Amino acid sequence: MEQIKAYKKIELLKILFVFFKMNLKSMLEYKFDRFFIALAIFVREMVSIVVMFLILTRFVTIGGWTMHEMFFLYSFLFLSYSIFVFFFTGIRDFDDMVYQGTLDRYLIRPLGLMFQVVAARVDFAAILGHGTVGILLFTYSCKAVGIVWDFKSVTYYISALIGGAIIQAALFMISSCFSFWTIRTVNLRNLIFFNCRRFAGYPISFYPGLVQKLLIFVVPFAFVSYFPAQYFIRKPDLDMFWNGYLYLTPLVGAAMFVLVYIFWRAGLKRYSSAGN
Amino acid sequence: MAYRADYYAGLINTLILIFVNIAIWKAIYGEDGSYDGVQLKIVLTYIVLGFLMQSFFIMDDYFIQNKITNGLISTDLLKPISFRLLVFSYSIGASGFKIIMNLVPAIIISLLFFEFLPPFSVSMFILFILSLCLGYLVLYCLNFIVWLTAFWFYQTFSLVTIKDALIAVLSGALIPLWFMPTWLYNFIKLTPFDSIYYIPITIYLGQTPSNEIMTCLLKQVLWIVLLTVIGHFIWKAATKKLVVQGG
Amino acid sequence: MPIIEVSNLTKDYKLNVRKKGLLGSIQSLIIPEYKMKRAVEKISFTIEKGDMVGFIGPNGAGKSTTVKMLTGILTPTDGEINILGMSPSKQRKKIATKIGVVFGQRTQLWWDLPVSDTFDLLKSIYRISDSAYKKNMEMFNELLGLKEFITQPVRQLSLGQRMRADIAASLVHNPDIILFDEPTIGLDVIAKEKIREFIKVVNKEKNTTMLFTTHDMMDIEKTCKRMIIIDHGTIIYDGTVNEIKEKHGKKRTIVAEFAQNINNIILPEGVEITEEADNKKHMQFNRDEVQVSEVISYLTSKYNILDLTIKEPEIESIIREIYEGGIDYDKTVSGDSEEVISEQLGVSR
Repeated sequence: MEQIKAYKKIELLKILFVFFKMNLKSMLEYKFDRFFIALAIFVREMVSIVVMFLILTRFVTIGGWTMHEMFFLYSFLFLSYSIFVFFFTGIRDFDDMVYQGTLDRYLIRPLGLMFQVVAARVDFAAILGHGTVGILLFTYSCKAVGIVWDFKSVTYYISALIGGAIIQAALFMISSCFSFWTIRTVNLRNLIFFNCRRFAGYPISFYPGLVQKLLIFVVPFAFVSYFPAQYFIRKPDLDMFWNGYLYLTPLVGAAMFVLVYIFWRAGLKRYSSAGN
Repeated sequence: MAYRADYYAGLINTLILIFVNIAIWKAIYGEDGSYDGVQLKIVLTYIVLGFLMQSFFIMDDYFIQNKITNGLISTDLLKPISFRLLVFSYSIGASGFKIIMNLVPAIIISLLFFEFLPPFSVSMFILFILSLCLGYLVLYCLNFIVWLTAFWFYQTFSLVTIKDALIAVLSGALIPLWFMPTWLYNFIKLTPFDSIYYIPITIYLGQTPSNEIMTCLLKQVLWIVLLTVIGHFIWKAATKKLVVQGG
Repeated sequence: MPIIEVSNLTKDYKLNVRKKGLLGSIQSLIIPEYKMKRAVEKISFTIEKGDMVGFIGPNGAGKSTTVKMLTGILTPTDGEINILGMSPSKQRKKIATKIGVVFGQRTQLWWDLPVSDTFDLLKSIYRISDSAYKKNMEMFNELLGLKEFITQPVRQLSLGQRMRADIAASLVHNPDIILFDEPTIGLDVIAKEKIREFIKVVNKEKNTTMLFTTHDMMDIEKTCKRMIIIDHGTIIYDGTVNEIKEKHGKKRTIVAEFAQNINNIILPEGVEITEEADNKKHMQFNRDEVQVSEVISYLTSKYNILDLTIKEPEIESIIREIYEGGIDYDKTVSGDSEEVISEQLGVSR
């Protein structure tokens, strides 16, 4: 029996590229349709921004936060989410893959499952819809909140966005893992994810202590928006929390991802023993 | 399993939304109990009521689209019962189910944990229920028009989502209309959107002067009639298109 | 050495037990109850290189569970599978390069893109060399007419075209074994025929081992010499298609059209009328008891006959009878029939 060679990095990169090209092509095949989906996502996401805008036009500040500061905080959520979707659409849609049998197809290919799940899908409409909101908010607010863009702050900013994206990827993956046990958690996941995201659109200092702890330790959205934003704008309500949290975003992301990956392996094992 | 999760999801969703919004409005008000003469208690009741209403005002936006994609529409059209009546009774039935499964527990929990004012008076409560039903019908007629676009478009996701977004902002479901800039407030008054949430809630709160209530209810009825007429013409065009294309 | 060796393969599933009624659903909501279900029980078979084997059985018999275990998607509860000296569940990725799977109900083609794009993707996934790729594509063009629609988006293809493209996609990496799961489902007669022809040619030219699961007995009759029938998780028949016909298809029917209506026809013993319409009569008998020629000569000598046909039972009705328990198949016989099969294969080739 001859040995099957392991894939070289360049071969894997090429496969990634082919997948990406195909995604791009199928999007262009339906440009108008996808454009309107992106527009719809944009409008949908703007609802909370418009509501926030209306409230702040009337009340000027909420809990000491101005409109610029609030929008800066919110921009982290959108930007990191679109980064997450850019790289991990497959993880977001994993439930579908299990139920439609795509997973079985991946399992009869000589590539790693995770690689295929991640490589196979890119949802451009969501990236565009969320990304536009994020960029809008960021450009509107970044000057006004007075950030000095030097090497240190740029490095922090980028690592915070990537860390935030990975935290969200890990959260989605937990729910994906359940589908290995044929437990459908899409609704529950959407509920937890998008509601916590809603929480995280406002400074967590607005909430009762229990909710704050939830957003730091359980569904750590505080590290996606609040702490990265606070690193730059340092509103006094930061005193409520340990200062070290400001720097933990990438670490929390990495730790969660490792833990969830272990869970994923267990799920895959269980899937192969029970099937769909 | 799926239904179980769905059931809890719907209920918990409503409660979480109420909870977040209460926290935000408390943060907005800060230490003061009132702003521009509006008491925090009033605002909180408004918000809670808005979300409770939303929890059973949610309709299946893809019912007609699914009927068209899977081709069942042609057989449905041949049935002795009118298709429009079928869609309407389906929506009413689903809402009825949500009232029992979601709304009742949500109300009980809201009464226990959230600051929630009772209706202004018994007569206002009766008028509120009437206005609530009318609000539901306004929303239904509006939705029905959007759903009908499925006869022309393969996917109605974009339109439905944009419709939902407009309703969310303009109907006063998320923010009391009285906090909006005057120009926007005046604009919304000319649209059917305030008939859906704002009018019933302000009646409940006793914020609408008694002499204006009749006008408000009449406005709701007027919108129902107008939207029904528009919906009727679009429906005629839609069925004509279906016949021409042979389903 | 056989290319596929399966011995005492067993698979158990854990099933969630649902209770009826509101109280029941609340109960299973809080304390879920499980039940073990045996989907496949101790099945054993071997397949030689280049064989074409039909794998049939009613819904829920354990066919697709077995196929999934062969591909490594599912891990067996017990027993062993040996494919090319490897265990699928332990060496899934390695075996993947040697196996192609065609799911009739699910496509692996990209719905919105031209067929050629999926082939490009598969070329890089399976690391197929340019020359091998070109050679295969030429063969697909020639035999499947792939060229006609390779630039069209998959969603615009007819089901037959899509299926042809799907089969080609599963073959592009030159697998040693191909598993077909309902490859002709929903196709019209011509499309089915085209696909069967292609499958036969591939088998002949590349000596690819093939295993089919299907509901369409014609698929099996036209392509396979051997078939395995599985029911309730166990193999109830493993032998040639001819043999099963030989053994269980003993009934013959003569359909005769008489010149005039005959009310009280007298037939030889063992022959009975099963259907009558106008001047046509269907007469059935057991081949072992009554000779066909006897019946014919009897009829022609006694009556004026305009038209006459002899019908053999279709394999489909035989299989149905086996499922329904009408035919009690002796398992020990099927176990020993392997040598017989290869002999017969040799003869018919």
